[in-house]
Amino acid sequence: MPTDPVLDLRSIRKTYGGTLAVGPVDISVVRGEFLTLLGPSGCGKTTTLHIIAGLIEPTAGTVTMGGRDITYLEPPRRDMGLVFQNYALFPHKTVYDNIAFGLRMRGRSKDEIRRRVSEVLDVVGLPGVEQRYPSELSGGQRQRVAVARAVVIEPQILLLDEPLSNLDAVLRKHMRLELRDIQRRLGITTIFVTHDQDEAFEMSDRVILLNRGRIEQSGTPEEMYDRPATRFAAEFIGEANLLDGTVTAADAGGLAVQVGSARFRAPAGIGGLSAGDPVSLMVRPERLDIAVSRPASAAALEGRVTKRIFSGDMLGLTILTTDGMEITSRKPSVARYREISVGDTVWAVPDDCWALPRDSGAPGAGERS
Amino acid sequence: MSVRDRLFPQLLLGPISLLYLLFLLGPISFFLAMSVFRYDAFELYVPTVTFENFGRLFEDAYYRDIVWRTLRIAFLTAVFSLLLGYPLAYFLARTRSAWRGVLMFLVIAPLMSGVIVRTYGWIVLLGSDGALNRALLWTGLIKTPLAILNSEAAVLIALVHILMPYMVFPLFSALASQDRDVERAAGTLGAGRLRTFVEVTLPLSRTGILMGSALVFTLTAGAVVTPALLGGREVQMLGQQIYDLVLSTLNWPLASAVAFVLVACQFTIIALYFRGGRRKGQG
Repeated sequence: MPTDPVLDLRSIRKTYGGTLAVGPVDISVVRGEFLTLLGPSGCGKTTTLHIIAGLIEPTAGTVTMGGRDITYLEPPRRDMGLVFQNYALFPHKTVYDNIAFGLRMRGRSKDEIRRRVSEVLDVVGLPGVEQRYPSELSGGQRQRVAVARAVVIEPQILLLDEPLSNLDAVLRKHMRLELRDIQRRLGITTIFVTHDQDEAFEMSDRVILLNRGRIEQSGTPEEMYDRPATRFAAEFIGEANLLDGTVTAADAGGLAVQVGSARFRAPAGIGGLSAGDPVSLMVRPERLDIAVSRPASAAALEGRVTKRIFSGDMLGLTILTTDGMEITSRKPSVARYREISVGDTVWAVPDDCWALPRDSGAPGAGERS
Repeated sequence: MSVRDRLFPQLLLGPISLLYLLFLLGPISFFLAMSVFRYDAFELYVPTVTFENFGRLFEDAYYRDIVWRTLRIAFLTAVFSLLLGYPLAYFLARTRSAWRGVLMFLVIAPLMSGVIVRTYGWIVLLGSDGALNRALLWTGLIKTPLAILNSEAAVLIALVHILMPYMVFPLFSALASQDRDVERAAGTLGAGRLRTFVEVTLPLSRTGILMGSALVFTLTAGAVVTPALLGGREVQMLGQQIYDLVLSTLNWPLASAVAFVLVACQFTIIALYFRGGRRKGQG
């Protein structure tokens, strides 16, 4: 992937009457990438997107696009397409006129507009709806029209503000792939805002996790999932067992961590940890194996099954360890695991651990790209 | 749904229907009938069908003038109310300023005093020794007081003021209920403020414009007190004419014919409003 930045946010801050909404935030967007701003509500992701679109002026910091400072440039003069959460289609215009709007503002000829509108409707998979009004379309169709309207002007950057949140669950899943597909076909640099981690992971090249206005972590979905930088990142993204323990040894090969009576090894991780430090050991539920007889290794926690949740393809088990910790495991629902029932004594064997400093819940770890 | 369930909501319309039947449709039928009766100086009216009342309305220059004047004043009042009311409604719908409450109050304020009080207020302001003329004389812009009273201008000014709330509130509610993101979307697509207003805000407030204009037009067309007090004998309008014909001249058949023309004009406007308000794509 090419790495020239198209958009740069430097030390962007936004305060409302003394309350910090965003920042300071630094984001660099690479040409052609699908970047997601992920975070809980109120984390500043939409504010950040609106600052990029020019709908909100930042209190401090600069936004540059292709080297040009656009911090205070009016939205009409930015080269961006924005898809709103509620689509914000023009209710009094037909689908054709909605999509043609941006081209008309750019003074394109009638012939060109006609050609481009029909091309883009093909791209979004909605041919033949030109003369309908938005109120005559389904939610999914409106969403496609909103995307078509934003991309037909061939903007440098496409901004998507939670565009899937108003769709029903089935359609949402389908549109994820569809959107990603459209983005790839057009090769358009895209910034996507969502609070849904599954969406973020399935669609993005890179994810930036925001929390209380700051960047908690950024990286590829796999980096974010396997190697969270903070406790917040570990808990917000997917499910995590966080086992309190103490580092007993730190060397080139990684860390040795004592959790209750068990001892685990973990990679050196985010660094700075030495013997004696309190840590939280993160184990993803699907990376926690369950054995019905005592394993040879000491890297196992003995406990009793307190809950067994069968959801068809998967089996969820909650285990109360002899040390009094509650941990969860999620395994494929195959005979080996299905035999386990509530009350059984089992051994939980993590096959991948990740150590986090115990006090790393504080925000503001900064972008590590 | 059972028949009873379906009947219940219709039953709720019963009392109001009865009221309308007795006190609206009844009198209307009466005056519709009256309008084709023959006038008689001794018996008030003779119940024989004739169209001479309508004939007089359209042939007599005096009545023709009154019909046209009424329509012209109603139209101009609606236009000026719209031109003055739209910016105000727009401001009220969009501002986050603390003045919003005060302005809202000022818009409603005319409704709190009676129409006669307000009309006399305008007499005080517009009279040859009134506040407006004094101010103009003081600035030296004019040498002799302007004769504003007893003119169409005086009627127009007062009606625009008195009927402003009926224009501003429909506009306000149309503008305030607009999704601001739609305007923002126009911005991100390259439309400046003016283009956004012309292409998005204005067409989306169409129902408010139509509603406000229809209200002001019909209320002006039927106005009696304000034209009578501010327009004098010079500015005769339909409402006042009906009043005179019923109470002074005692020509009820002609009064009914005039009333019929007035109601027909108002119904036409309301019908146009409903046609215009029901265009496609308005959801």
